[in-house]
Amino acid sequence: MSQTFGHPDAAAMHTEGLHIRLCDGIQHMEWPQAGMTADFLGVFFADIAAAAGADARSARHAIGYLVNELLENAIKFRVPGGAPVLVAGGVEGSGFFFEMHNQSTEDVAAHFGTLLEELTSRDPGDLMIERIEANAENSSSGGSGLGILTLMSDYSAEMGWTFGDKGAGGTLDITTRVRLPLD
Amino acid sequence: MQEIKTAEYRVWAEGATIHYEGTMRLSGTEAYAPVQDMMGAILAQAPAQIVLDLTNLEFLNSSGINLLAKFTIEVRKAAGTGMAVRGSTLIPWQSKSLPNLKRLFPDLELTIA
Repeated sequence: MSQTFGHPDAAAMHTEGLHIRLCDGIQHMEWPQAGMTADFLGVFFADIAAAAGADARSARHAIGYLVNELLENAIKFRVPGGAPVLVAGGVEGSGFFFEMHNQSTEDVAAHFGTLLEELTSRDPGDLMIERIEANAENSSSGGSGLGILTLMSDYSAEMGWTFGDKGAGGTLDITTRVRLPLD
Repeated sequence: MQEIKTAEYRVWAEGATIHYEGTMRLSGTEAYAPVQDMMGAILAQAPAQIVLDLTNLEFLNSSGINLLAKFTIEVRKAAGTGMAVRGSTLIPWQSKSLPNLKRLFPDLELTIA
């Protein structure tokens, strides 16, 4: 049975827009690729967003932040040598639409699902402050979930996730969809 | 002067003012530890006020926001040290996310100009 969290229909993969495949092959997926890909999408869509009435600089930064946060997670929790991470984005009306497909192990997906249930259950701004306070009590805590909470609270992003069925090799496909309003 | 410098970012302290510049997208708490240590060492000297100058910090990921948030709570808990955070209206993430620090520590002076 597939599982959904938040707003799984926040965006849909369009045939137009920009599609990128990050493959964990000869060129290993590494941390800086999240930022580089995020910067590229930010620059690519800034003028397109401006033509649609948004502020180019705000759009570049907001798209860059969104893509970097989601790709950092996808790269951190990827199955080594597994399926590519697919990202797609486009500007439509006053929003940026983003979709990401990645794969994770069953354990990672179960942990992430529990986290998403909590993150989508209440006001993200209040939850963020509470989690930061709780994190501060634990000096080694990296603030897991803070990226998603800042996107929902500070950027008013509408976000949703669909977890597919467990496939061969015990991995799951995770689809993330986001609609990011542009200022 | 204490300084941490890479191709992407630079963090340095002048007295109780800490300056941040560039793009900080480090991979988590451990990667941010040297920066956290520098900030903690300044707080340990118990200055009247610590200033975080972020006016040239173009990008910061959520692990970095977590670092700033945890430090804000540490300063709040350390009686006798105040805190000021300076941001720029030219850097969009700052107007969006820095007000969260004020929620954590209402006495903090936040200036985004």
